[in-house]
Amino acid sequence: MIDRRRFIEISGASLTAAFLAACDSMGPAGAKKLLSYVEKKNEGVERFLLRHTSMDHARRNAKIAGNAFPTYFVSDTMPMWDTATDGEWTLQVDGAVKKPVRLTLDQLAALPRRSQVVNHYCVEGWNAVAKWTGVRMSDLARLVQPTSDAQYVDFASFDSDYHESWDMESAMHPQTLVAYAMDGRWLGVNHGAPARLHSPVKLGYKNTKYLVRITFMPERNGGYWSDRGYEWFGGT
Amino acid sequence: MPPSRATHPAKRHHWIVRVTHWVNFVALTLMVATGLRIFNAYPAFARKGERFCCYPFEGREIPSALTFGGWLAGARNWHFAIMWVLVINACVYVGFIYLHGEWRDLVPRRGDIRDSWEMLKFYTFARKDHPIQGKHNALQKGAYFALPIVGLIAVLTGLAIWKPVELSLLTNLFGGYVWARYWHFLAMLALVVLTVVHVFMVFAVDPYSLRSMITGRYDESKSPERRNARPLWWKKPDHPPPNTDHPAPIA
Repeated sequence: MIDRRRFIEISGASLTAAFLAACDSMGPAGAKKLLSYVEKKNEGVERFLLRHTSMDHARRNAKIAGNAFPTYFVSDTMPMWDTATDGEWTLQVDGAVKKPVRLTLDQLAALPRRSQVVNHYCVEGWNAVAKWTGVRMSDLARLVQPTSDAQYVDFASFDSDYHESWDMESAMHPQTLVAYAMDGRWLGVNHGAPARLHSPVKLGYKNTKYLVRITFMPERNGGYWSDRGYEWFGGT
Repeated sequence: MPPSRATHPAKRHHWIVRVTHWVNFVALTLMVATGLRIFNAYPAFARKGERFCCYPFEGREIPSALTFGGWLAGARNWHFAIMWVLVINACVYVGFIYLHGEWRDLVPRRGDIRDSWEMLKFYTFARKDHPIQGKHNALQKGAYFALPIVGLIAVLTGLAIWKPVELSLLTNLFGGYVWARYWHFLAMLALVVLTVVHVFMVFAVDPYSLRSMITGRYDESKSPERRNARPLWWKKPDHPPPNTDHPAPIA
């Protein structure tokens, strides 16, 4: 027979053992459902907080990261657009729009230009300041005229199957740019040349580099990191 | 011998206090462990291209045995789920002690600094007898009053680094993203220190109080004041309960 004290001792010991075994694990499998439920609820909170009037400003004393700005890609080698084999680079903007377009880099650079010195917030916890120059997503939207059922926007790359879809509100934020220049120079291949998405309102992984296609959609279609466990919304 | 004392110890903690205490323990542990796993993705504070003045271990990871979540995304999902448990639980606790009057045992009063000094003197053997106290001694009161305040700072700095653009007012209040992240880390550290000292003192000074946080009952005849208890240094209670032996296990 087990008396109360013995019971408390045994359960205490086994709880401690379970706790230690759980260290650095991902937790019980049953928690997964609950966690994704909370992620959905958190997305509601994040959408509620999103304002087109809230702007990111790099702090006055902050240094431009320059060469210290980290780079990454998901292909085995650094993705490079080769005009000899791939033809001229174009940015296709299509989907639920009235006037789909295909823009060359010159055409993109001829659109209203916007420069901003802002933070880049990485999911890992670091931030980096850079000056980005490009076209506002909202200006591109004006050009292609999304239909009323367009609620999401997908940003696809030529870096393997990398893409990330966004909510319309974040995509239309005035600081969301299709950037072709960084720190006053054409975008380097390590930073997503010829053009990339950049916005301080989303975490780094949502900002597709090596951009080739922007698709307006009535439904979301996940994304490279969002399908691998990171939050789909990833807002700041 | 007053029989009522030993057999019917007084009620000390309301069940709401006991439940929120243990929920808080689990939630706080998970928040710290997942937070450290998130921190390990970039175990530094410097903005890229800069140096950070005030953290001596820039770039050094926290041992993974102290972390939970397995990887960055896993830990983030836990962190952003458990945060609600922590905040709601804290609101229930603070709301309850406010409405039920227990806050009176915790708020700082004139004389608390003097009483804390006397407690320190007692613990360092510079004073022979235990200072007279109410429900808690002055040092305890300080710790229990500080905990929710540090917790509030942890929550606010957490919001500031979760939403540095949408809540930029808050982020700027803490000196920007980098500093808000640093204050968040320091608030965590303060919570850990408070908790570790608290747990040590429970076992080293007043193990009898463990019962009061489980069943709610506390035997005043065994209070640290009665036992003249210093950490790991006290005399046996005056009136031991009638039977403290383990019953022999039946084979």
